[in-house]
Amino acid sequence: MSRPLCQNKEVMSHAKKSSASSPKNPSVWVVVPLFNEAEVISSVVKQLKSEFSHVVCVDDGSSDNSAALAEKAGARVLSHPLNLGQGAALQTGFDFVSSQHGASHVVTFDADGQHRVKDAVEMVELAQRKRISVIYGSRFLDKRTQPGIKKRVVLKVAALMTRAITGLRLTDAHNGLRVLSMEAIGKVQLEQNGMSHASEIVHQLAKSKLSWKEYPVEVLYTDYSKQKGQSLLNSINILIDLLVR
Amino acid sequence: MFSQWVLAAALLLVGLYLLKAKRSANQQAIRRLFIVVGLIAGFIAVLFPEYLNAVAGFLGIGRGADLLLYGFVVFALFYAVYQYRRQLWQEKVTTDLARALTLTRAQLDELRRSQKD
Repeated sequence: MSRPLCQNKEVMSHAKKSSASSPKNPSVWVVVPLFNEAEVISSVVKQLKSEFSHVVCVDDGSSDNSAALAEKAGARVLSHPLNLGQGAALQTGFDFVSSQHGASHVVTFDADGQHRVKDAVEMVELAQRKRISVIYGSRFLDKRTQPGIKKRVVLKVAALMTRAITGLRLTDAHNGLRVLSMEAIGKVQLEQNGMSHASEIVHQLAKSKLSWKEYPVEVLYTDYSKQKGQSLLNSINILIDLLVR
Repeated sequence: MFSQWVLAAALLLVGLYLLKAKRSANQQAIRRLFIVVGLIAGFIAVLFPEYLNAVAGFLGIGRGADLLLYGFVVFALFYAVYQYRRQLWQEKVTTDLARALTLTRAQLDELRRSQKD
């Protein structure tokens, strides 16, 4: 983003032109839960827009100008009137896409820039080609992603717990990159507003018996995304959240 | 001891309530019944402390004051759990409301856009 002003216009007009001639992945809607990510959201949305014509950011009551930046970068922005949590933002996005004509798949994508758009494109392609209802991104299927030892332990504990509760043998339970068919979206009704939605979504999809697959993705640990991580103790919160409702 | 079984059962019930409670008229009725019974029992205990002692002795607790303390602990736990569940329910209502507002605004936006075109 060395030339932010002129580049914005270029990218915008380019996106408009390409969507006018041949909209990319016209039946796919990318849902991005958004909360205070003003530093990175513009570039995340622009990268997404280069591959997907429908990008929906659900602004979860950000106190910075994330929503305006996302809109300017070309996303459709839905705004919660108050901060509810990432799970609530995802569900709002799902409800919105369900009301759109011609939607076939939903991609969930984190706003902090830790996912690669290329991975999302490949996952959508796989879902469509093999008719798989749910594709979970996993950073532990190959060696590209190098989380620190602490992060690895936290994520492994979360994955083991999700396995114990849902019976699904996932290697990476808390990856924000997923592809869901509209049939799968119909089976999901997230009630966990906070971070426990990641296990809840697996739980509900496991019950639905829809076909699923894990797909190797790379998670980009930038200095920015490293500041935001989950702690080991939080897995206790997730367990209680899933048991008590 | 008999009293230990009673107390353990009461705590188990509190735990069960934490996991399984649903918002139903029956449960509300049971809660209210407990409050009324508790009030009457408290009234009697204040007026005739010897009854409290007698009941405590029957349960094998020894002193009426101890029985009162145990009862209070169980009640306090139950109340905490009840409030926690109420808060969960309130959060759900707030979420549904906020979501409805968000989606309605999105529809309005869409209408405005289609009118512009």
